[in-house]
Amino acid sequence: MRRLVAIKILLHDGATTAGAVLGVVAIIFLVGQQLTVFFGLLNFMSAIVDHSGADAWIVSKKTDNINAAGSLPIRYADRIMGLHEVEWAEPVLSVGGLVKRKDGRFQPVQVIGLARPRLAGGPWRFSEGSIGALLDYEGLTVDQLDLRVFGNPEKDDILEVSERRVRIAGITKNIRGFGGTLVFTNLNKAREISRVPADRCSNILIRFKPETEIHQGVLKLKKMLPQAEVILTESLSAQTRLYYLKNTGIGSSFGFSTIIGILVGIVIIMLTMYTNILNRQKDFAVLRALGARKRDIAIVVFYQALFIALIGIFIGFLLLALFLSGTRDSRLPSYMFSWVPPAHGFFTIVLCLLGSLLAMRKATRIQPASAFR
Amino acid sequence: MAKVAVRLNEITREFFDGKQIRMVLKKTNLDIYTREFTVIAGPSGSGKTTLLTIIGLILTPTSGRIMIDDKDVAHRSEDELAAMRMKKFGFVFQNADLITALSVAQNVLVPTAIQGAPVSAESKRAMEEILAQFGLASYAYAMPQQLSAGQRQRVAIARAMINAPILLLCDEPTSALDIESSTTVLDTLKRLSQDENRGVVMVTHDPRVFPYADRMIKLEDGEVIDDSKSGGEEKHEE
Repeated sequence: MRRLVAIKILLHDGATTAGAVLGVVAIIFLVGQQLTVFFGLLNFMSAIVDHSGADAWIVSKKTDNINAAGSLPIRYADRIMGLHEVEWAEPVLSVGGLVKRKDGRFQPVQVIGLARPRLAGGPWRFSEGSIGALLDYEGLTVDQLDLRVFGNPEKDDILEVSERRVRIAGITKNIRGFGGTLVFTNLNKAREISRVPADRCSNILIRFKPETEIHQGVLKLKKMLPQAEVILTESLSAQTRLYYLKNTGIGSSFGFSTIIGILVGIVIIMLTMYTNILNRQKDFAVLRALGARKRDIAIVVFYQALFIALIGIFIGFLLLALFLSGTRDSRLPSYMFSWVPPAHGFFTIVLCLLGSLLAMRKATRIQPASAFR
Repeated sequence: MAKVAVRLNEITREFFDGKQIRMVLKKTNLDIYTREFTVIAGPSGSGKTTLLTIIGLILTPTSGRIMIDDKDVAHRSEDELAAMRMKKFGFVFQNADLITALSVAQNVLVPTAIQGAPVSAESKRAMEEILAQFGLASYAYAMPQQLSAGQRQRVAIARAMINAPILLLCDEPTSALDIESSTTVLDTLKRLSQDENRGVVMVTHDPRVFPYADRMIKLEDGEVIDDSKSGGEEKHEE
């Protein structure tokens, strides 16, 4: 009966209920949208590392993020290949370049050069062509999201990158770096673009043999290369993300927006539920006179908060799903980890119950005698 | 034979109005009986509603004892008093005060399950019987707003009756009704008061009610100034 009373009152007071549901929708959608953009940006920060297929990376000493890699002697790769624990070791060159657009303007890009024939660390999703296209000396991939900034070139069009001729051999699908536009080519073309000497590279990717215990392999490499840093792929990814969170203000900016979203939602919930109780004071007094205890009234308000939360969560996630679906192929970063929606939903229920505390306090203080006034 | 449903012993009630303490009910001794239609009358501010709510265990007295089944219940915990209110009393308010969000049937069932117990088949049967008895069977699924004022007040009486209370406590239930509806409600309450296991206590200004009374308690300035029975001798069981 308490649940029935709670739900019937909510349905009967449609306008105030809609207000409270709007508060929950605001929390789910605003916070969820901020989180998807935030996680999307996190993915951009370490995308090259996360999709490299390597177990570990060799980087310069004191490298704090993958996009600020130093310079390593390429002979390290040959030395590492001498170890029986290692399946492959491939150098990668990461440099800046300027693409000359069809209209004569320039577009800065991050050029990733990959060693042929394995092309380890290369692009992982294509809308046109395949990674094999980078075996071609002039081959370069651009992303479909960046076609507009390059003046809408097509596959097999010729472009200039830092005054060097390249051919668009493939178009990748939604692969972007934190710094913006990523293009992939082979090591030789990247060297030509950047004028980096042939004996240097930015990083070396390592894949251990399946039977090798990865931590043991890393320790062995550390002993072998004391002048360089050997780091597990997942550690480098985390380190890169942490660097950007600490040094760019992204973390605090998104944190602030998230807190504002939560505050806006909780205030709406609090005020509308409180108003609902004020409008229903007589009903609660009558219920108390008829035998309801304070805890029965609290339970009625609890059910109301829960019901509002569940409806709001459903609508909020529906809107969020539409938003995610609408931005999937846009330049807007968006990504949602699978654990986030349940955690976000649970957190919102807790917030909604907290928001109802004021209303609960008011409702339980209504005296049964006031039914007689 | 009539029985004492509630005995008030040396009851007083004070209120603090923000400036001073006011004695709204002076030392009162009363026995309220079953099988009796008791009317509490008096001018505004005389303490009628205070007396009714003390009888109904809604207000606790400042001093004195409320005896039910020979036990003093005046200062029991809020939860115990709520449970006793639910089992022992039925309340009929001035404007019916049905929960507008609930149907007629749901309103009548509220006192059976508001403490969390599921609505039993027995309660549902009782609800159907009571509604039929009051000529409201066809309105079971109607909403209170769809009923006339008189019908709403009859639903309120049905709600008050659902737990088979020993007393029906009514706070001016006819003040907002026209003559016809008022007569129907009073006839119903009079009939209900003739059961030896149930009494009716009504607070009212309405002189149309007085002829229905078996007993008139008149209050003035928080004091009982008259307590008289009308009609023949009535046997009371002590």
